[in-house]
Amino acid sequence: MSKLKSMSALESVAVPGRHGKSDGPAGVTLQERADLGLATLEVRKGQAAALDAAVQAAYGVALPNGPVSAVGKGVRFVGVGPGQWFAVSETHANEALANDLATKLEGLASVADHSSGRAVVRVEGPSVRDVLAKGLAIDLDPGVFGDGAAAVTNISHMGVLVWRDGEAFDLAVFRSVAGSFYGWLEEAAAAYGLDVVTTS
Amino acid sequence: MRITCPYCGARNLEEFTYRGDATVKRPESIEETARDAWIDYVYLRDNPAGLHKELWHHSAGCHAWLQVTRDTTTHEIVDVERVAKER
Repeated sequence: MSKLKSMSALESVAVPGRHGKSDGPAGVTLQERADLGLATLEVRKGQAAALDAAVQAAYGVALPNGPVSAVGKGVRFVGVGPGQWFAVSETHANEALANDLATKLEGLASVADHSSGRAVVRVEGPSVRDVLAKGLAIDLDPGVFGDGAAAVTNISHMGVLVWRDGEAFDLAVFRSVAGSFYGWLEEAAAAYGLDVVTTS
Repeated sequence: MRITCPYCGARNLEEFTYRGDATVKRPESIEETARDAWIDYVYLRDNPAGLHKELWHHSAGCHAWLQVTRDTTTHEIVDVERVAKER
């Protein structure tokens, strides 16, 4: 069977360059985080303590118990619900992450590959909170939503997973709404100027 | 109206789906003799003025089932707890 070519959901949608207000520095920059490994893990019944220990041993980090994320060796674990995490990795690209998790956490957690199911963008810049506030009903003040904080919620009625990495926000949306989501973002950022930068 | 999810924190109503009265209990028996209990379970609901226990699903958030104790006359929410005790 021939292997399918991996293709970004934002290809030829998020066009690199300046959008909206064209003078002055851009209020928001957007960069797609392509080729990430994405996976969900859900603890098996009665295995919470064993899973904690196995993640600590394999990735050197404690699984967060709440809507926050924790960065281990090559993997960020984002708390998305009781006993459920969303794992994100640059070093274990695409399905390699789910394979790695499934091997190391065998019998302790159910792992599913989400790499081709989501589009992930990184937004940052001086106006990023003003732009996100147009569709995201989460207080992003650093005193409330600090480094690593996460939320499963909606942006403009589209399901989104958001987490904070320093001054930047990463937004993961389902691949099927990536085009609509980018449309919303470009519209919301137009008044401040949006700079779409390429990853390579 | 905002519901304070025990996992996610305070979120607006748009994220939740109402799934009905949390006090009804499914009859144990499926025999004909339990007919009245089944009619009560499937069709009949109290309509209390005051505190009421309700099931809500955090469908656009952590997907947890919640039991919300709400005052039907003021919409005040006095308690929210996860239905699943484990995890």
